Amino acid sequence: MSSAPILEVENLQIEFRTGRDTVHAVNGVSFQVESGETAAILGESGSGKSVTASAIMRLLQSPPAFVAGGSIRFKGQDILSLPISQWRDYCGREIAMVFQDALTSLNPVFSVGWQIAELFKAHGIAKGRDADNRAIELLERVGIPDPASRAKDYTHQFSGGMRQRVMIAMAIALGPDLLIADEPTTALDVTVQAQIMELLESLRQDSNMAMILITHDLSVVADVADNVAVMYAGRVVERGPVADVLGRPAHAYTLALLDSVPQARGKGSKLRPIVGSPPDLARIPKGCAFNPRCRFASDLCRNETPPIVEVTPGRTAECHHAEQVFNDG
Amino acid sequence: MMVENSSISPADDQPILEVRELAKHFEIGSGLSFKRKTGVVKAVDGVSFSLRPGETLGLVGESGCGKSTVARTLLRLEETTSGSALFHGEDIFKATPQELKSIRRRLQVIFQDPYASLNPRMTVEEIISEPWVIHPDALPASERPDKVRALLENVGLRREHAERYPHEFSGGQRQRIGIARAIALDPEVLICDEPVSALDVSVQAQVINLLMEIQERLGIAYVFIAHDLSVVRHMSHRVAVMYLGRIVEIGTEEQVYNHPRHPYTKALLSAEAPLDFSKDRKKHQRIILEGEVPSPSNPPSGCRFRSRCWKAQEVCAGEAPPLEYVNNHAVACYFPEDSPAG
Repeated sequence: MSSAPILEVENLQIEFRTGRDTVHAVNGVSFQVESGETAAILGESGSGKSVTASAIMRLLQSPPAFVAGGSIRFKGQDILSLPISQWRDYCGREIAMVFQDALTSLNPVFSVGWQIAELFKAHGIAKGRDADNRAIELLERVGIPDPASRAKDYTHQFSGGMRQRVMIAMAIALGPDLLIADEPTTALDVTVQAQIMELLESLRQDSNMAMILITHDLSVVADVADNVAVMYAGRVVERGPVADVLGRPAHAYTLALLDSVPQARGKGSKLRPIVGSPPDLARIPKGCAFNPRCRFASDLCRNETPPIVEVTPGRTAECHHAEQVFNDG
Repeated sequence: MMVENSSISPADDQPILEVRELAKHFEIGSGLSFKRKTGVVKAVDGVSFSLRPGETLGLVGESGCGKSTVARTLLRLEETTSGSALFHGEDIFKATPQELKSIRRRLQVIFQDPYASLNPRMTVEEIISEPWVIHPDALPASERPDKVRALLENVGLRREHAERYPHEFSGGQRQRIGIARAIALDPEVLICDEPVSALDVSVQAQVINLLMEIQERLGIAYVFIAHDLSVVRHMSHRVAVMYLGRIVEIGTEEQVYNHPRHPYTKALLSAEAPLDFSKDRKKHQRIILEGEVPSPSNPPSGCRFRSRCWKAQEVCAGEAPPLEYVNNHAVACYFPEDSPAG
């Protein structure tokens, strides 16, 4: 483990200001990513996980999105204050992203090889035939059969899994130190999912790249991640090594999430779903945002924001009843 | 055929729905001309299964395997190419419009997309009452408002929700409305086409529990279609695994998940990492399948899985392997995994 984390997100707050309401999508998110590790951000729809990722890549359109506070430091450099022209040098070379939907993320009117070669041209690394050859090499590296002729094909000629490989090829083209994968396998079938996770994992190991894996899927987290941050209503509610956090949760939400997954419990036993639905982010409940759905909730939870509790060294939970959850769960 | 009295009559074991050699082929045009047919997509090609009263049959497979097409043909939303589906002995595919109306009263459906399957211009009351508008003899009009509210409570919503419109509800609540509509006519069979796939984990569990409670209370049989292996396992008594338009394996939930016999079932099950968070968890061993599912317009000859199967031999390219039953556990493979003892 290296001395300084490669990425530090500190008290990040992001709001979407619409005509009537202000939607608090991210409300003070903090986490670190060490170089070479796989860190998972786990959460359901609307938990703020993708907004956090987009903020790191500076992809949020403003308006309506505003960074209301906090900082993101990459290798010590505050990237939110960089001029966009300088930020462009980081994109791809230092940090890259793989999106969920490869079909809408790739350009339909250019061949796949052209799109990858464009990366090398735009960054002034290679041009002409050299750039084209590098694109073919990359396609080969991500396991696309017959790369030389496939490079001439367009995105609609590829299957879902193959498109995702093309996107991964583009993301790793310039050898970034941090790869953000936003639900990279959600749109894919299970057997293809397995292929893509295997590919990401082997690429990460080969180049000692760090990876932020954004997902709602507990089994993906169990499979590949070292550390996990569980998000709910725009906050990281629990954070630490995967085996600790998901093996023995200390936040009532994490525990409830595990209880509601079919595989986690024996066949036939009833699932214990979380009552109600996630809060409207324009009207987040007072106190702990999870309190209306929580079976541990007390008056304290309804009135006061929970403190960040260090459960065991290197692992935190933001819950008034962390100890009780940790011991009872 | 009527069997009177006796709660445990042998008739209880008679299938309520029996599907035999169901096939649905789509003709595809050349794109420029609608007249010229350039190929045939065999979306479903010889699927047989039976459903007994009160049981859940899970139908699992990856996209394009034909599981949703099976659902759509059973509802006659698509006309079949060949095969039969006997519902209480009456062939759904040959039913006249009048007969079909009576069948559909007892065979209802829940769709995947809770946003697209509710009419945004109708109130919840109108949505849930619609089955009775189509089948006026099912419930006198005077009793409908009360019944709507009772149904809403049955699916975990509140009575006052009846006056609202679909846009006022979350995805999970909309799916509950869809379920209330589906059980309004007291059907015997419910076809659930990916009913929880669009929902978040925490909400998904609510709907799964609701469906299981309803089955316990009303004894409805489910054909439960999903791509999520653990959800299917949780819901089903028996499971059928589909690949490229055919059932490759069918058996009890325990047989299929604990003793898979078809290589595809094995690979599919191994693709999903187990939820093991222990400190000394091992790197999960997967069977990584080579390549991708072939196009259903040009499937491999013989066994359709052979192009990706590590056990494939010459014989697999010849005649397609038939579904062969041992202890109610059937597999369509020339080289199945060893049969479990007992």
